[in-house]
Amino acid sequence: MLTFVRFLFAFTIGSHILIVSTSIALAVLISISEFLSIHRHDPVYEALARRLSKVFVIAFGVGTASGIVMAVELVGLFPSFMTLVASTGAIALLYAEVSAFFLEVLALVLYVYYWNTFRSRYSHWVVSLFVLAGTLASAVFITMVNAWMNTPNGFDATAFVSSGFKTITGVEPFAAFLTSSTVPQVFHVLVTTVFAGTMVIGAYFAYWFIRSGDAAAKGMYSRALKVLAVIAIVTVLLSGISGSQQMGNLLVYQPLKYAALDGNAVPGTNLPDRFFGSVVGGSYVGGFSIPGMQSLLAEFETGQSILPGLSSYPPNTWPPLLVSTTFNVMTVGGLALGVFMFVIFVSFLRRKRPYESRRLLYAWIPAAALAMLVYQLGWATDEVGRQPWIVYNIMTVAQAANTSDALLVPGIIIVLFYLVVIPTTFYFYSRVFHASEAVAGA
Amino acid sequence: MNGIFEVNYAAFSVFAALLITEIMGAVGLLIAWPSRSKVLDYIIPIWEVTGTFGAFWVVTGDFAYPGLLVPVSYIFTPLLIVFLILWVARGTSIAFAEFITKRGWLDEAKLFKSYAVSTIVLGLVVLVLLSALVGGQGVDLASGSFSILSWATAGSAVFVIGTLLLAVGLAPVFFDLGALRTLVLPMAVLGVALSVLSYWLMSPGLLTPWMAVPVLLTLAAGALYTWRRTSAIVTNKAVFLVVLSVIVFSLQPLVYPKAVGQAIAIDAVTTAGTMADAFFSITVVGGLLLAAMLALYVVVAARGPNGPSL
Repeated sequence: MLTFVRFLFAFTIGSHILIVSTSIALAVLISISEFLSIHRHDPVYEALARRLSKVFVIAFGVGTASGIVMAVELVGLFPSFMTLVASTGAIALLYAEVSAFFLEVLALVLYVYYWNTFRSRYSHWVVSLFVLAGTLASAVFITMVNAWMNTPNGFDATAFVSSGFKTITGVEPFAAFLTSSTVPQVFHVLVTTVFAGTMVIGAYFAYWFIRSGDAAAKGMYSRALKVLAVIAIVTVLLSGISGSQQMGNLLVYQPLKYAALDGNAVPGTNLPDRFFGSVVGGSYVGGFSIPGMQSLLAEFETGQSILPGLSSYPPNTWPPLLVSTTFNVMTVGGLALGVFMFVIFVSFLRRKRPYESRRLLYAWIPAAALAMLVYQLGWATDEVGRQPWIVYNIMTVAQAANTSDALLVPGIIIVLFYLVVIPTTFYFYSRVFHASEAVAGA
Repeated sequence: MNGIFEVNYAAFSVFAALLITEIMGAVGLLIAWPSRSKVLDYIIPIWEVTGTFGAFWVVTGDFAYPGLLVPVSYIFTPLLIVFLILWVARGTSIAFAEFITKRGWLDEAKLFKSYAVSTIVLGLVVLVLLSALVGGQGVDLASGSFSILSWATAGSAVFVIGTLLLAVGLAPVFFDLGALRTLVLPMAVLGVALSVLSYWLMSPGLLTPWMAVPVLLTLAAGALYTWRRTSAIVTNKAVFLVVLSVIVFSLQPLVYPKAVGQAIAIDAVTTAGTMADAFFSITVVGGLLLAAMLALYVVVAARGPNGPSL
């Protein structure tokens, strides 16, 4: 049952973040589109913002429902973990997230259903910023909870563990808002989420731009792609910077996870960056490596020259070493995406209108699939890399989980349900967007 | 007085009031589809707010009663998972229905009816959960399990029937369905009588003098609607929602100071110390934010809705 519980939650969150990443990117795109419509007196941008706002309502509706599934699943699947969360500052983060939710939902109702009620267009645009702020704040707070799981603080962990998880003392509720991994993790998750969502939405517009023969419709798609391309260039750059900072943070605060990700069988200096091999019998075999690169980056980020290795830790505390491969796919995929966005950037510099280049738009579609794969693998690497712990060095997943057999049947129903809901949601995104097009005659 | 319980129960009261009005609307969509516009005008902007208050209640509950999470998980998880499936079905159906245009077999009517069915069944699941939390029927705290067969007692059944009668009986008030005016008060009286009977069947100790508050407020809502001169007072949706929230809030003696058939003392399981301080601090900040947004909403909504025209 423990494996099923792990799978069920991983599947739920993996499905949930598909919706979340597109929601966040939509919120950014809507706000920028409306601003441009006002600033440039461009009705096409306004039409784009209006149509996307309907799509956003669907994303918000499904995302909220799915978010509540996760909130209740956490209690149902990992009750001991949630007891610790609820007794320490981590719950304060979830509470703050609900406040952000209120900001988002009320702003969204005003933004979508009272669009023409605002006398000043700029006032209405400001409401889109409230929606965006609520959306981003929700993502920030939930990522802060994850950061707390990676580097827990704000209570006496030693007393908690030695009491057999019965006594929680020395609680500082607001300490969880700033753990040692909070800033780099939040930064990295935010920019990669926006990037992945931007690429997926961009792929949709790229597909329709290539396919459409209607000049007016193409005008709208190219405007959307122009904005999305700029967002993607900025966020892919920030993803690289924040990813490097994140590794530096792991090196200092989660050295075992760092060693597993980089495939360091033993500690050492002047270590290479290794790719696509594996740790077998105390050494790294297969794949290829770039000599000295790992140490160079680590020293640049942290000033640390001796890098950790798995051999310094008991094998029963190692995460599954598959994380090295997921990390490699994530890194190489991220670099490939960086190169793709660089080509688009150069095309912008040369005034070549990359957002209307069929060749680049054809490439955008598989790039979006890669971006979502990299994003999902990033999450998987973070979570699997923390195993066997659910709260690092304090509580294991096995200790936290509810392994009741009663979960099996309803759990399978949830999985089947998500398999229907997620594709249907994306189908409806498209259908609603195009239904608006038919009405507008665009 | 337990301030943390009051905040959590207040969140529940608003959530319950919003959900009850959605159930009222869902019944209307199923039995009176041709006059759906009255229902949809209300439900479409509000269903997302219901979900947010649901999340608010769940999270404040986690925060308020950390010691209850393990038993709740073992006892109610299968029921909660059914709730979750219905919750997602409700959210996705209405989100899709809102902007759909007919193509093939799937259309607005099917999706709104799917929303209505999932909302009504969801309401039934919530009633099963609530009756178990009040009377403890079906709950075995020692083994950490819940049995639907043990739950099915006279008290639980009458609780569900009484509450449903109240929800359906007061629906004409909320949606101002004048043709059903004469049915409202009799349905309210019957619903109140059955609800009070169910509390007595669960445990006679639940019937305190405080129970007069929800009883009188419910009957007053029905009576005010019966007479045309006074009906405008309760057909105002904001007023009705506030009254309904107060009615649910005044039912708190059913679970406080003791819940689950008097087996769990709420004060003993409520968070305390610095966590309680943090709870209140965040409640104040979040409450101010919510109040500011609601004020903005009221100002804008007073000018009238006007959705996207494209």
